[in-house]
Amino acid sequence: MDTRWILTRRQLLQTMAASGALAAADLAWWEEPLVSPRRAWGATPVRFQFSVPEPKRTALVESLAQRFNQSQKDFEVKVEFVPQAQARQKLITGIAANNPPDCCQVWDNWVGEFEGMGAVDDLTARVKDWKYYSDVTPIAWQTVTVKGKILSFPWVVTNDGVYWRTDRATEYGVKPPKDDWTWDEFLAAARTFTKGDRNQYGFGMRGQGTWAVLYATEFMYANGAQALKDGKVAINSKEAAEGLDWYLDLFRKYKVCPPSVPTDGWRGIVEGFGRGVTNMYIHNSGSSEEQKDFVGVKNFATVPLPVGPAKKRVSFYFSETLTGFKNAKNREGAWRFMSWLMDDEPKFMYCKTLGLLPARKTLAERPEFAKDPAYQGFIKSFPFSIVSPYLAYAGWGGKLDSEGVPLFQQALVGKLTAREFLEKFADMLTKNMG
Amino acid sequence: MASSPATVAVALPRPLLSRRARELVTGYLYLLPVAICLGGTIVFPILKAMHMSLYNHVLIKPHEYRFIGLGNYARLLHDETFWLTLWNSMVWVFGSVIFQFLGGFAAALLLHQSFRGRAFVRTVTLLPWIVPGVVVALVWEWLYQPNYGVINDLLLRLGWLSDRVAWLSDPALAMAAVVTTNVWRGVPFFAIMLLAGLQAIPDELYEAARVDGASVTERFWHITLPLVRPIIVVATATRIIWTFNYADLIFVMTSGGPANATQITSTYTLLMAYSNLDFGYAATLSVVLLVIMMVFTTLYLRVTRGIESAT
Repeated sequence: MDTRWILTRRQLLQTMAASGALAAADLAWWEEPLVSPRRAWGATPVRFQFSVPEPKRTALVESLAQRFNQSQKDFEVKVEFVPQAQARQKLITGIAANNPPDCCQVWDNWVGEFEGMGAVDDLTARVKDWKYYSDVTPIAWQTVTVKGKILSFPWVVTNDGVYWRTDRATEYGVKPPKDDWTWDEFLAAARTFTKGDRNQYGFGMRGQGTWAVLYATEFMYANGAQALKDGKVAINSKEAAEGLDWYLDLFRKYKVCPPSVPTDGWRGIVEGFGRGVTNMYIHNSGSSEEQKDFVGVKNFATVPLPVGPAKKRVSFYFSETLTGFKNAKNREGAWRFMSWLMDDEPKFMYCKTLGLLPARKTLAERPEFAKDPAYQGFIKSFPFSIVSPYLAYAGWGGKLDSEGVPLFQQALVGKLTAREFLEKFADMLTKNMG
Repeated sequence: MASSPATVAVALPRPLLSRRARELVTGYLYLLPVAICLGGTIVFPILKAMHMSLYNHVLIKPHEYRFIGLGNYARLLHDETFWLTLWNSMVWVFGSVIFQFLGGFAAALLLHQSFRGRAFVRTVTLLPWIVPGVVVALVWEWLYQPNYGVINDLLLRLGWLSDRVAWLSDPALAMAAVVTTNVWRGVPFFAIMLLAGLQAIPDELYEAARVDGASVTERFWHITLPLVRPIIVVATATRIIWTFNYADLIFVMTSGGPANATQITSTYTLLMAYSNLDFGYAATLSVVLLVIMMVFTTLYLRVTRGIESAT
């Protein structure tokens, strides 16, 4: 037997070790050589953290990053996808450990916390020289301005409006709401829409997550309340209690909401409407594209929030930001990528695919947004949209969720009255004004 | 005749350590890897948690990081939510474990009988235990869904309900709903443990009792129960500790809501650590949880040992 071609144990081990060393060297040089395309010589990596609420965004953002990488040779963006629920804690632990990503996509209500940690890159000077500075709406800049410093790009903006089922309205004889409809008209529509025997409810109220408190606050404002007055917390006012009482009664007294309200978060209200259980709900434009698939383009529309007894109404304005960090390893790459995402094509693609409104005026005026009925409720709400009062203090961001929401749920299920909830809530806000 | 040189016995140098000491050192050296692993993964984190609990350590407020002694413990005494979570934990743990034990024991007695297809039934019984906790939580969350969940739908069709029930959204029902899910998941654990115990009891004991005219109940009380008691003690203690620390199910199904109705101490600790990012206070809650569990386990084992010796 010719033994020349038989691999001895020693030879096998040597071969394996050599292969391993080669693979390790290749990995170190190219990073994921078999998966991603090889980057250009000298391209430095840019870490971009993106929180993923849905699979559609993953594909979209990956594609945007690839387009950016192909558009220039200096930087290569690597997207780090993080589930939405863990995004904030991951960023904060990254900052605390002095290892933040170079840039990230986050909601504006977190940026204040990051600024409080001294972690965010001040973009003020650079942004003011940026080519689209004056094209971004002033209120969008306001959402990312903390203590006079512009800390982020407002990638997209959102405000709240009411989604309602046009086909069911025709079926049940509900008059289409006018743009300046009132609370009474809202309640009347919700009552007509409620058909217990068919498992249908008028209004999908949100009971879980930060926005549960924010939507309720919008109704308090419509009754003449304010969260802050002369630098002090004023959310425990009589107007706020009455406004909240009316809002909570939609669930507690009038029974126009499904029984799942206390645990219905974002997915709960969107799916409730999509599956035909509810006929109205409050949300931003972010679920409009989803509803086109769920209930059909012709079967729903959006309308501004109703006018309250104080002849007022507000819609809270938020922005999804692009934020860079002081201790980023590649600050220049982060700036280049973030400003590229604000350019016409990538920004338009991102907004249109996800149903979000662009922060840049020239893009928002395009017919794809301005003429689409699904966006009308939000566009018509711009004149009375304000920046959320809960962005005022960095300490309020996390507390709103961990303490504000359980308190709100107690009011929702009748364990606290509206007044008791507001007293406790105001106390919590006052303690965290740092 | 030449005389052969005399062999002189040379005393061996006295070893540094005595034989007994050497044996001891060797023994401890064998233990060293385990000690390092346990120290690194259990002892160090516990000590670190104790250390953290003495500091004001809120990640979003790095400038306020400082030693505050027992400040976090004082805060805990006045924290109404903590006391509520402690009570909820008791309901959660004992509600779950008692019904898991009863269901598991009944299942074990049935599975111990001879019948056709026994192997298949035993395998199927194990299924809830095999499925990961998060998956169980998601499945049951959908079953409980008030608007389009299967449970409401079935009960309405059967005419047992007139209105849809919000199982997880009603504070009066939410804890019972999550406990039911946990019971469903934990029954197989007791069933398998107790079945192993039942199989170890010699048949001769039952035969002798039967000859003596003992009834089924008497055989159960005087033979089965005493002989499986050691397994019951260990399984129950283990399960109580696991359930006390088990946060996945509640975290996924209700996040501790509605209105803290299902907030147990372990989910509250998670909330403090990863929502408030208050690691100092979260560490304090962990240390208190550890102490409660140690006291409980010591008492439980002492009491059950007393029962053992009495029998």
